[in-house]
Amino acid sequence: MRSFHHEHWRFPNPTMWLAVALVFSFSLSAAAELGGDVSSVLTDQARMKATVKSTESRSYTVQELKDPSGTVVREYVSPEEKVFAVAWQGPFLPNLRDLLGQYFTAYSQALQAAKARHPGRGPVNIQQPGLVVQSGGHARAFTGRAYLPSLMPQGVQAEEIR
Amino acid sequence: MIERRVWQRSYLPFLIALLSCVTGAGCGGSSSPQKIVTSGQNVQPISVNAGPISGQIYPNGVFTSVTICVPGTSTCQTISGVLVDTGSFGLRIPSSLITISLPEQSANNNAVGECYQFADGSYLWGSVATADIKISGEQASSVPVHLLNSNFFTLPTDCSSSGGPEENDPTSLGANGILGVGYLGADCGPACASGSTPLSPFYYECSNSGCSPAFVAEANQVTNPVTLFATDNNGVIIELPSVSGETASVSGSMVFGIGTQSNNALGSATVFTVDPNTGNISTNFNGVTYTNAAFLDTGSNGLYFLDGAITGIPVCSDDPDFYCPGSTQNLSATNQGANGNSKSVNFSVGNADELLSTNNAAFPTLAGPNPGNFDWGLPFFYGRNVFTAIDGKSTPGGAGPYWAF
Repeated sequence: MRSFHHEHWRFPNPTMWLAVALVFSFSLSAAAELGGDVSSVLTDQARMKATVKSTESRSYTVQELKDPSGTVVREYVSPEEKVFAVAWQGPFLPNLRDLLGQYFTAYSQALQAAKARHPGRGPVNIQQPGLVVQSGGHARAFTGRAYLPSLMPQGVQAEEIR
Repeated sequence: MIERRVWQRSYLPFLIALLSCVTGAGCGGSSSPQKIVTSGQNVQPISVNAGPISGQIYPNGVFTSVTICVPGTSTCQTISGVLVDTGSFGLRIPSSLITISLPEQSANNNAVGECYQFADGSYLWGSVATADIKISGEQASSVPVHLLNSNFFTLPTDCSSSGGPEENDPTSLGANGILGVGYLGADCGPACASGSTPLSPFYYECSNSGCSPAFVAEANQVTNPVTLFATDNNGVIIELPSVSGETASVSGSMVFGIGTQSNNALGSATVFTVDPNTGNISTNFNGVTYTNAAFLDTGSNGLYFLDGAITGIPVCSDDPDFYCPGSTQNLSATNQGANGNSKSVNFSVGNADELLSTNNAAFPTLAGPNPGNFDWGLPFFYGRNVFTAIDGKSTPGGAGPYWAF
């Protein structure tokens, strides 16, 4: 029997994450960008000036980062150490260029095309084969999520990304 | 005979109310029939119509006019076609429409700029100016307002990080401005006023060398003008009649103040206090409660809720922003305030492809997905008077913020 933890899981446990957070003076970046390696959390510091905590579930780890304004970003990391989803909630929109990384351009083009279809204001719902971005809320209370269907660990449902 | 007449008189109002429920006039439980106020110095006409941009129809936008003046003078300009938005705070107008000279804010000899990102991903960019604002018979003095201008210094990269279009001109905005009359005063609040480093994107100080994120005191931030009215400044009522189907236009009133005049009493409206962190209430649908995930927003042009997997309603094949059921779906949900008050809401979802292919502008059944959330947009407001009580202001229904309907 293959052991998930021994063969695939090299991600630090929650206690280690707490220690890492302390070492970096609560200034880890949110920008372990969508589709990127988890290691980018450590190399791409300080943009969000965020506190961080980590929780493990059955098939992924969630890093939760909270910036000084109160905006929370959750990053979903697969056993392959890829960020397969991000979710956000808070009084201000996080920097989606940083958060979506290489997928920002596709998101932005799709959103602008959607907005060009008709005037009016409502939530964002980008549905592409390789990228889903859903975002909404109102001033001072934004929520949203983005995920890469092809990188989702088996059995993970979109409803878990929130 | 006498006894029978007494019976008829005392039950007649009840029977009329019941009948109006059956015929579809907005009725939520024990509500009395809707009354729309049309006169008073605190009453401003509003209209759902195609909007001010010729050649395009703005679906479910509610518009009004706003008069802006050079502070302390009678040099004024009235701008019509301004979108009324209970989901944001402050007045934003394309500078291209402004013909009077409003003083622009400066700090440290730099021009003050603002980037304002909406939840739909669009963003607005321009200067912060000061104006006296007159709406109906109400006046607010020296209100910080946002003048939208793509040529106001180079756009900071952070501003476009929301990914949507820049909407600084009337055509892209779909309106001649946005009047944010939601539950808060200053648009950013304490997060932009102080801290270790200024929030970005939001406020900037700009010079020839570019724009840098900057702190702006709350009193100088773009502010919901209602909170600065001399009177009737504790809230806003949006009053729109019920609409049986899609139509070209709907007229109603925006009434200022809650319980401050004879025409703005809470009456039988139920107060729903909000979660202080989000300004949201909760909605229960099919036995599941979406906690602090619901809000009432005239600036959202549809009922945006949950997703097709939960509602069983297909999204449009050509537009994932909307639902496209084969036939109109009649649904019910229960809104719940933080104070425990609750009220059921009946609503309908129509086929957006069919609705938007008509030449109408008011669509009571326009709806789309919004996973995990309930954005009760403009269709919610047809047929009920909806009160927005402003943060920290006292009203007969308690201190704001709250919604009531």
